[in-house]
Amino acid sequence: MSQAPSPFVRAALDAATAVPPSGIAWLDAARRENLESLAETGLPETRNESWKYTPLRALSQRAFSLADTGVANSLAVDPASYALPGVDGSRIVFVDGVFRADLSSLEGGEGVSLAPLGVALEAQPEPLRFALANRYRRGAADAFAHLNAALATDGVVLQIANGTDVARPVNVVHVSSGSQADTAWHVRVLVDVGQGSRVDVVEHFVSLGDAIQLGTVVADIVVREGATLGLVILQDASASTTLIRRNHVRVEAKAAATVHALELGGALVRHELTTELVGDGARFDSRGVFALSGRQHVDTQLEVRHNARDTTSDALWRGIADGRSRGVFRGAIVVAEGADGSDASLSNKNLLLSAQAEIDTKPELEIYADEVKAAHGATIGQLDERSLFYLRSRGIPLAQARSLLTLAFCRAALESLPNEALREHLGDLLVAHLPTGPSDALVTSAQ
Amino acid sequence: MNESENMTRDVAAPVRDNAEVVEALNRRYEAGFVTDIESDSLPPGLSEDIVRQLSAIKGEPEWMLEWRLAAYRHWLTMPEPDWAKLDIAPIDYQSVSYYSAPKAGPKSLAEVDPKLLETYEKLGVPLHERARLAGVAVDAVFDSVSVGTTFRKELAEAGVIFCSMSEAIREHGDLVRQYLGSVVPTGDNYFAALNSAVFSDGSFVFIPKGVRCPMELSTYFRINAINTGQFERTLIVVEDDAYVSYLEGCTAPMRDENQLHAAVVELIALERAQIKYSTVQNWYPGDENGVGGIYNFVTKRGDCRGADSKISWTQVETGSAITWKYPSCVLRGDRSVGEFYSVALTHHRQQADTGTKMIHIGKGTKSKIVAKGISAGRSSNSYRGLVKIEKGADGARNYTQCDSLLIGKKCGAHTFPYMEVKNPSAIVEHEATTSKISDDQLFYCLSRGIGEEDAVSMIVDGFCKQVFRELPMEFAVEAKKLLEVSLEGAVG
Repeated sequence: MSQAPSPFVRAALDAATAVPPSGIAWLDAARRENLESLAETGLPETRNESWKYTPLRALSQRAFSLADTGVANSLAVDPASYALPGVDGSRIVFVDGVFRADLSSLEGGEGVSLAPLGVALEAQPEPLRFALANRYRRGAADAFAHLNAALATDGVVLQIANGTDVARPVNVVHVSSGSQADTAWHVRVLVDVGQGSRVDVVEHFVSLGDAIQLGTVVADIVVREGATLGLVILQDASASTTLIRRNHVRVEAKAAATVHALELGGALVRHELTTELVGDGARFDSRGVFALSGRQHVDTQLEVRHNARDTTSDALWRGIADGRSRGVFRGAIVVAEGADGSDASLSNKNLLLSAQAEIDTKPELEIYADEVKAAHGATIGQLDERSLFYLRSRGIPLAQARSLLTLAFCRAALESLPNEALREHLGDLLVAHLPTGPSDALVTSAQ
Repeated sequence: MNESENMTRDVAAPVRDNAEVVEALNRRYEAGFVTDIESDSLPPGLSEDIVRQLSAIKGEPEWMLEWRLAAYRHWLTMPEPDWAKLDIAPIDYQSVSYYSAPKAGPKSLAEVDPKLLETYEKLGVPLHERARLAGVAVDAVFDSVSVGTTFRKELAEAGVIFCSMSEAIREHGDLVRQYLGSVVPTGDNYFAALNSAVFSDGSFVFIPKGVRCPMELSTYFRINAINTGQFERTLIVVEDDAYVSYLEGCTAPMRDENQLHAAVVELIALERAQIKYSTVQNWYPGDENGVGGIYNFVTKRGDCRGADSKISWTQVETGSAITWKYPSCVLRGDRSVGEFYSVALTHHRQQADTGTKMIHIGKGTKSKIVAKGISAGRSSNSYRGLVKIEKGADGARNYTQCDSLLIGKKCGAHTFPYMEVKNPSAIVEHEATTSKISDDQLFYCLSRGIGEEDAVSMIVDGFCKQVFRELPMEFAVEAKKLLEVSLEGAVG
């Protein structure tokens, strides 16, 4: 970049000097290279198509230092802050990006290997080399992937051996302390689900305070032949947290991955979910809801790439924007040449509840094969007046009728979650987040 | 109906036996022939001098020259857009000749060079006869200068002005000055700026208050001289309570070098006015290896300035090597309506990136988009659309439907709709599907004794029906034939 780096980038470069060398030559080299790439590219601008609706001007002017590991290590955390019903398997907890052995329980039974990245690197660094050193090379990633690769010193390594059926969901918890103002934390996640295995993973983001923080998570997930992965993401961070997350899911032949995402919190949240169906007969289902209010800005970028024959994808996403919030959704389906027999569908429906809120949605189809079925639909609108009228004619007050219908609108995305206790809990969380009173704009439009 | 049948070219005759199918497979562009008449052209290249010369040749007033120069200076500062899903070889703007006029310079139809009339004959557009029979006034643009305008008298009686842009600049300067560039400003985009600097001619339509234009207005464009870009400028102004239906059709002779075409069309609808703008675009698409073909970079925009006004775009795009075109509606007036109906067909190595923009500003504004894309061969066909609901557009409503049909394994069909909504009482809906011609449908037709090519063209016709029925009848017939011709050799 010809111009001077932004305060954001400068702070990241400064922060890198505080990262202790890993002692692994290739890893340190990769970190340096990513740092250089970050300095070169800078934060993406809205001229960049992928960031068209998410301006980073304000973020680029903020300087984040690395969260203090001493503080993160000693912070008292009440396990109740992240406890979830129906989630009782092994657990790995990070506080401001620092692994907390005292809060985690890594034992997951036979065939399940759950370890913090730091420990995995000490034990056997070589198997992780490709993911950590080669995955995000120059030009193949944006500023945040480089930032994460340069500064993430800890993370999750989850490996499920071939043919293992993991009965209880694995829980990954990211706690933002909310007490270290203007600090950033970075976590790297690597998941490998072995052939014919089955596992559920619940990823949970929580905040304990309101200090302004940035968190980045970069996850690479492989679902091997015939395996099944269920991933649930609950993002309930504080309204002062900025979260940039990238999930890359690779689904091999006859394997299936399902994602359920519930986005409730955060100030500025970006979630990139890219799935590649690389083996014949692979399947990917995604379901998601965002419910926004205040000045929240949540940007979901879903991309499903059908690269093999007879692959299937189904996506159902719902969004609600109230207050002065802005919801952004991009749902791209790409069917590569030769991916015959692909069947792809995507539905994105949004409710715009306030005159100051905005929703930008962009479903895309890129099709290079002819034996395919691909369809998408997107809507932005309000609650159906006839349904409202029906409920009111049955004696249900307007406000209650409204929240009932809004909940029904969102729940469609959660209904397919098999973990009943968790599903109920997510539904309750959603109710608590939905706007309670009727907003003025709705009353006028209903008249 | 007779006229329409006359327009039919032999190629459209149903293909029945194998020999004919084989022949059809290798058929070259039907309308590809070069009329051999001398042209009076400016030397290739673009500079302020060229712009001045062009303006001088056309005898334009000072303000027009200044307008062109301002556009040219702005164009110099702009980068060429590269966001579309198009693979474009670099264009050398200095190798293009920016003006060419038929040398004969006829003043009326009677004086028109017989060779020119022959050209129209080959295209099935015998100006003087058919126009009258079909009740269509034709302002035929041959390369860049209008050579004949019919029905002037009848239109004049109704108070309608329908003439070439050059003439409008000379004789209706005030009107042109008031409206030109008010919808597509000179610096709007790269190609609009280029057009503003060097546009050679085009059509001007003015429908005064309360007048329903007594006939459909039509212009046939042709590109003729080698290496001359065609830079058309069309301006249609429809005053309060008036109505016009405008038809635009294009064919171009065969070329081996890419020709540049950058047109600008501006529509202005005042209170309760209605404009229906229909296009059949059949520029030379290049041969089956993608050699030659027109580069078609068009900026079309309608401004529903008055309340309760309506602008409707209908297009059938089968030609051009590259199509970059987004006919748009700015729905400024309360309760104004915008419509976009499109069939875009690409074959061989054609590339199309086309769609629309509906900008809802006024209250209760409505828009409807129906886009049908058909890709065959090794072509790439993208729909790119924007529906934007601004804060004040209470009760705005949009419905969009995009369907793509794939014929063959090597083509691509893409959909990039953008929806931006800032008003909570608006409703925006988008639906899109992509599929190939279903085996069931094909099997059904075959079992009824219908040949494969005919079956495909029937199915394609059904796929496009929603759009075709928006076209005026002669156009609908021509459009159907065009699809059949364009799709030949796509099956099998």
